[in-house]
Amino acid sequence: MATESTTTSPDLVGDFGGLRSEEMILNMGPQHPSTHGVLRLVLVLDGETVISCTPVIGYLHRGMEKIFENRPYMAGPRYIDNADYLSPMINECAYAGATEAIMGVEPPRRAQYIRLLVSELERMASHLVAIGTYGLDLGAFTPVLWCFRDREGILDLFESLSGHRFTHNYMRPGGVLYDFPKGWLQTCEAWLDNFERRSLPELEELITGNEIFEARTEGVGYIDPQQALAYALTGPVARASGIQIDMRVNRPYGAYREIPVNIQTRQEGDCFARYRVRMNEMYEAVRLCRVVLDKLPGGPISVRSPIALRPPRGEAYYSVESARGEESIYMISDGSEYPYRAKIRAPSFVNLQILPELLRGNKIGDVIAILGSIDIVLGDVDR
Amino acid sequence: MDPVLFNVIHVVVTFLFALLFLMTAAALLSYLDRKVQAYMQDRYGPYHYGPQGILQAFLDVGKLLLKEDVKASATDNLVFRLAPVVFFAPVVTAFVVLPFSPYLTAGALGTGLIFYVALSSIDVIGVFMAGWGSNNKYALIGGLRSAAQMISYELPLVLALVGVVMLTSVLTAGCTGNTPDLTTCGVGSISFSQIVAAQMRPESPWLWFFLLQPLGLLVYYICGLAETNRSPFDLPEAESELVAGYLTEYSGLRWAMFFLGEYGNMAIVSAVATAIFLGGWSGPGAAIGFWNGLLGGFWGGLVFNIIAAFWFIVKMSFFLFIFLWVRATVPRLRADQLMRFAWLFLIPLTLVNILLTGALLLLPLDTPIRIAIAAVVNWLLLIGVVFSLRGITGVKATGRLPRWLRTQRRTPQPAPLPGVSPERAPAGAGAGNRR
Repeated sequence: MATESTTTSPDLVGDFGGLRSEEMILNMGPQHPSTHGVLRLVLVLDGETVISCTPVIGYLHRGMEKIFENRPYMAGPRYIDNADYLSPMINECAYAGATEAIMGVEPPRRAQYIRLLVSELERMASHLVAIGTYGLDLGAFTPVLWCFRDREGILDLFESLSGHRFTHNYMRPGGVLYDFPKGWLQTCEAWLDNFERRSLPELEELITGNEIFEARTEGVGYIDPQQALAYALTGPVARASGIQIDMRVNRPYGAYREIPVNIQTRQEGDCFARYRVRMNEMYEAVRLCRVVLDKLPGGPISVRSPIALRPPRGEAYYSVESARGEESIYMISDGSEYPYRAKIRAPSFVNLQILPELLRGNKIGDVIAILGSIDIVLGDVDR
Repeated sequence: MDPVLFNVIHVVVTFLFALLFLMTAAALLSYLDRKVQAYMQDRYGPYHYGPQGILQAFLDVGKLLLKEDVKASATDNLVFRLAPVVFFAPVVTAFVVLPFSPYLTAGALGTGLIFYVALSSIDVIGVFMAGWGSNNKYALIGGLRSAAQMISYELPLVLALVGVVMLTSVLTAGCTGNTPDLTTCGVGSISFSQIVAAQMRPESPWLWFFLLQPLGLLVYYICGLAETNRSPFDLPEAESELVAGYLTEYSGLRWAMFFLGEYGNMAIVSAVATAIFLGGWSGPGAAIGFWNGLLGGFWGGLVFNIIAAFWFIVKMSFFLFIFLWVRATVPRLRADQLMRFAWLFLIPLTLVNILLTGALLLLPLDTPIRIAIAAVVNWLLLIGVVFSLRGITGVKATGRLPRWLRTQRRTPQPAPLPGVSPERAPAGAGAGNRR
């Protein structure tokens, strides 16, 4: 076996009565079933215990921020869809919002409500994938299929709304592209009913009370609040450590200024708390969707704006709460047809940085459990 | 008929039956595995080839047989090639002792139980060879894991069967009554035929041993899951952690042998559980006297054996179904939790069971009363284990350490930070700064 020895701290490699044991370097990924894409982890192992971990990223780098600089503002949402490909609607909100902030335009109220509705649906879709694949990471095969079954309903809704299941290209600076087709709201309400009455309790029964699931997640991958703040974690990962950080509450944008959100936090800071926060956010998202369906105002869905948009010179930093944390766009306009710079603050990228510290001293099985609980999307990490 | 010829025919028939049954069962099981799981997961599973996709399994086997023989260049050639055979051969051999029916038992060995246990522990060598010979780090970790796992679970598996053997010592002929003949029944039988016979004595034909040893069945079945590397003990081939574990470098025919061996192992574990705990081939209609009287020697025996094998396979299918059911329900344990569960929970539990059963069977009482007391105590133990485990011992069934064994406490949590006060973004437009 090709093993290489490295210098490691003596407290992690046990001294087995003078018996010298070599560490093994294991290259996990980029082609590995559960690194959630093309993440590569260079693990130094002592038996099954991880001594150190070096994440290697960049396998999905597509130069997205450079692409923005060569595309008109109206074409931006189509590209940012591919950044965090599990919550494209929320990415589009960020891009459109940043452009609007430079332009000094406020989208119509109806457009803001539609954005909130699709954002919350997308959040549910993304959390369903997170929880389903987390079950898969822990070796349970059923949750992922149940979650994808429910997510399918959301994708169908998006397809009839925007014409695309996955990369929707639905938001535009100044509003949204289409209004709801006939019967869409009823379908959405039916889906919400079914999801809340049948699917969520089913998932809770399958996963939450499972002793093995609890044993695999409780106390594993503990992040204390100071650590979370130091690593600038956001989203469910931070909220599971008791940090009350949620862009929808702290810096409300769009319709969140009118519809308050109950922030979901847990104090435990372990993998189970992160799972629990995601579940609770799905309940909360169902509630928000219902509020929007009740209060949906009439009126136009978009401001009138030219297709060849030329915002004035200026810059804006616009944050939205994506399913993974604070997703922000820092956009600079030089007055031309194309953005001068559009920088994405990707929550997956920031949250991933804590991984080496969390993995040290854990078993191989926990590597996957912890990585899955952080819930990264490699498209978002590499952009 | 010439008795020698009769014996030859018997061996040939039963061995062919075992081999065919193994092949068909393994292929069908792989199909059912996918189909049963599919229905539990709201999907259809294999659908296209044959009615309800039933030909899928056989086509899969055919595809595997025709695949190119791929072997990485740096593998340990001999070990790599030998490993599937070492894994598969004991599975075929173990089928020989399984009592499908009185006739369909190729080798009614007097030491059937020990024979089975011995063969099932040879498997681990095959898995370890596969892990070592592949020259792949995932495979190596998988092989090491499986070696640790299978050796650990071998112990409670054997110990769980001891209770039954002790019961047979009381129940077989000559051992009943107030004055048992100690020359013939000091030790119980470890022959499958004898154990099945002890469960269908004329005076108590329905006294299957799971009624007397439910705890034994539970522990045996859990260890069976671990022995066959099935969920939740499928660590050696944990796909989310180790890609495919010791199977990572295998493909084609060699992979198929591991695959068939694994499903064959499941069938064997279920068959042994059936023979030992569910009364083997006993069931409605499986009465040789009745059929012999009705149809005569040959035809009566044939009909009786078919019915007996039918009941055996039905009971076996029940256990096999639980294999699939468990797999669709639970996640996987971690390596250290797995070992802890075996050594700190299952082995002490089986030892207590042996001690209690043995002591109670020695009480100076009538045999039925002794057995009844032992059964009641066993049931109480089972209920206690299942329901109050966490409260009494602090050992979760999943192997969390009790407080006094825990060395590493979780760091105490600081008080929750005060929430960032929600500062409202300025309503309306133009949040950006003009340059």
